[in-house]
Amino acid sequence: MKPEFDEVSGQETTGHEWNGIKELNTPMPWAFRIWLWASIAVAALLWVLYPSFPSTSDYLKGTIGYSSREAVNLAVAEGEAKRAEAYTVFTETELDTLAEDPTLQAKFEDDIAVLYRDNCAVCHGRDLEGQTNFPNLVDDHWLWSGWPEEIEYTLQVGINSSHEDTRFAEMPAFGRNEMLPDEEISDIVEYVLSILGQEHDAEAALRGDELFLDNCSGCHAEGGVGGYETGAPSLADSQWIYGGSREEIAETLEVGRAGVMPAWSGRLSDSEIRQLTLYLIWQGREHGDS
Amino acid sequence: MTRIIKSYVLLAATFAILALGVSILGFGRDGAYIFHGWLIALAAGWALMWQLNKVTDPEPEIPLEYKDDVIKWGVLACFAWGVIGFTVGDILAWQLAIPSLNGDMSWSNFGRIRPIHTTAVIFGFGGNALIATSFYVVQRTSRARLASEILPWLVFGGYNLFVLLAVTGYPFGITQSKEYAEPEWYADLVLLFAWVAYLYLYMKTLARRAEPHIYVANWCYLGFIVVIAMLHVVNNLAVPVSIDVPKSYPLFAGVQDAMTQWWYGHNAVGFLLTAGFLGMMYYFLPKAAGRPIYSYRMSILGFWGITFLYLWAGSHHLHYTALPDWVQYLGMTMSIILLVPSWGSVFNGLLTLNGAWDKVRTDPAIRFMMVAMLFYGLATFEGSFLAIRPVNTLSHYTDWTVGHVHAGALGWVAFITFGAMYNMVPWVWKRDGVYSLRLEAWHFWLALGGTLIYVAAMWNSGITQSLMWQTYQPSGAFTYAFIDTVETMIPYYWMRAIGGFLYLLGALIGSYNIYMTVRGAHLPDEGADAKPLAVAAE
Repeated sequence: MKPEFDEVSGQETTGHEWNGIKELNTPMPWAFRIWLWASIAVAALLWVLYPSFPSTSDYLKGTIGYSSREAVNLAVAEGEAKRAEAYTVFTETELDTLAEDPTLQAKFEDDIAVLYRDNCAVCHGRDLEGQTNFPNLVDDHWLWSGWPEEIEYTLQVGINSSHEDTRFAEMPAFGRNEMLPDEEISDIVEYVLSILGQEHDAEAALRGDELFLDNCSGCHAEGGVGGYETGAPSLADSQWIYGGSREEIAETLEVGRAGVMPAWSGRLSDSEIRQLTLYLIWQGREHGDS
Repeated sequence: MTRIIKSYVLLAATFAILALGVSILGFGRDGAYIFHGWLIALAAGWALMWQLNKVTDPEPEIPLEYKDDVIKWGVLACFAWGVIGFTVGDILAWQLAIPSLNGDMSWSNFGRIRPIHTTAVIFGFGGNALIATSFYVVQRTSRARLASEILPWLVFGGYNLFVLLAVTGYPFGITQSKEYAEPEWYADLVLLFAWVAYLYLYMKTLARRAEPHIYVANWCYLGFIVVIAMLHVVNNLAVPVSIDVPKSYPLFAGVQDAMTQWWYGHNAVGFLLTAGFLGMMYYFLPKAAGRPIYSYRMSILGFWGITFLYLWAGSHHLHYTALPDWVQYLGMTMSIILLVPSWGSVFNGLLTLNGAWDKVRTDPAIRFMMVAMLFYGLATFEGSFLAIRPVNTLSHYTDWTVGHVHAGALGWVAFITFGAMYNMVPWVWKRDGVYSLRLEAWHFWLALGGTLIYVAAMWNSGITQSLMWQTYQPSGAFTYAFIDTVETMIPYYWMRAIGGFLYLLGALIGSYNIYMTVRGAHLPDEGADAKPLAVAAE
């Protein structure tokens, strides 16, 4: 076929045709020619300046000596230096002194809140009030006491964690491991309910009192008030980690509990752990016993 | 090759797939995997019986017509997978806005059903659209019937079996965790079978053409088929653990594996979602507009530029990672040059409408294709821009990437497909045009509105996210915790889900329109035109 003249575009066709489709022989627009060569020139310039083509054993390093690894190391070091300067007070002062310093909270609380939300909130909640299976941090009821250094130690080594100095606290599975028969477990449940004056079977609770003394008071202490040495929670306050209903208490006795708090030392810096410790103390003071 | 040798080769290959299916259903140890064994065995068994019956048949008389029956099935599969893929996509969008919508079940959580969405839309919807239109275009532009009576069905059947195996495996955790290449080794073998058949069939049909030249649409389709074959094989080189379980381990590890994966991922975009659909554009746009292609020279620049440059650019998905700097810079620079041939194709398409712009107003199908070119231009500009390393620090790992992908997928890939389908369906089924132009226009505006809402939401969300991540206090501490950035995304996620819903609504209207067109009245026989071919198929 011969090229035809196209009236609309003023161009000739190439003379090819496929099922009625033709193509014009329009020359490459000059803008595209310039743009193509300009792009290639920019690329070539970048190949000279930055690392580019490989050879058999190495690659072109580029004339300005750029390296991603060096750049990121520099940026990280810069950030660390900034933080070290801003937070010197946390590493150079005793924890007890820091806890009593009324000026720190207003100055650092917003920064530390971000640290808390990034690392702790997923279990303990953004309001610090915990959720089922994870304790409330601002109810003024502590498992390992609310002394600043004890809080900090929990943060460092965790509870039932993989840290070699971890705190350890385990509620045995009295039912599943057949440590106690079912009827005795239900007696103990009735007794625990009676401590807080909840609705309970008085006769069973009386039997449960004795069983509790024999089996539970070693950790939870007489009267179920708990103990900071063992990390056993008080059963005499209204705060429950795994729930305080008859069914929930029975389940705890049946399957046991061994909640894990991860060890943060090594993951967070000493300064960050100290900041979080103070954050808990400040927040606890503000919320009080809820 | 004689006819009999060819049928033995095909029989042997089909038998191998059957043996694969039977081994899996025999040795497999978990439910979904055994179910896959049955699917493969049944499909391959059926294909084998069908071929065996034909071996003893006398030489069939092949009509002097285009082979269009398989194209019809391709169109239906395209719309079916499209509706499934868009629906699952919008469910995912709602899950992100309201996380509890995953129902707290393992199989319905985001990680398991997201690949159903991506596989159904990319491979189910996009792949079937490409197979159907490529069969249509190669025949018309070659004036030749497809070179085999059996292969087109094996390509279509094998390919859709692969997609089915993929999407039914994900909810049960069958995945090799490579984005867009999730299916495990046995499904990959099924695709390999179908794809080799596709490549052979396509080249064979081109070789039989009655036209002196190969039309640019066929360059694009062939480029797509060849490169996907290469990508699929290399990225899925893996060693199965055993026939008992679907699990396999990839041949490459660490950063080599990541680079292979993104060489694959980027060129799946470049060749399946770009070159293939450009092939569609090069046929259906000039055909519908009744205008010649704007410039043969721009076609050459566009095709060879894209083919050469895309293959270098995959590393821009791994900026600022363990990947060596030199690979990152090569990917970035090639991506910058890549914009020129990409926009060459955009202008070549748009300027083809010179002399026919009035049809954009009156014909929604041409409007679909015109807007597709605009979105293609937008997405390729954005792609090259985001590939520049400093820009990438802002966009990487954010919703901007998601927005970019959907500007391309919703605005370009699906728009050009809808435009092509609204033309091709009446042609293939011999109907007097589409059932309803009004519904077609509704489809267009819903799709356009949905896409714009989606993309705008993701631009805002992505940039907001990134800026929040990068904001520090003077003390060097983060200003925002990660969860704060998640919370800020909520309104954008609602917007995205609403935009996606509009898009889905449009696609449902489109599917209804296509269905009614197919059910509509047959055009009278065209007489002499009913036998358009001069040369008989083998």
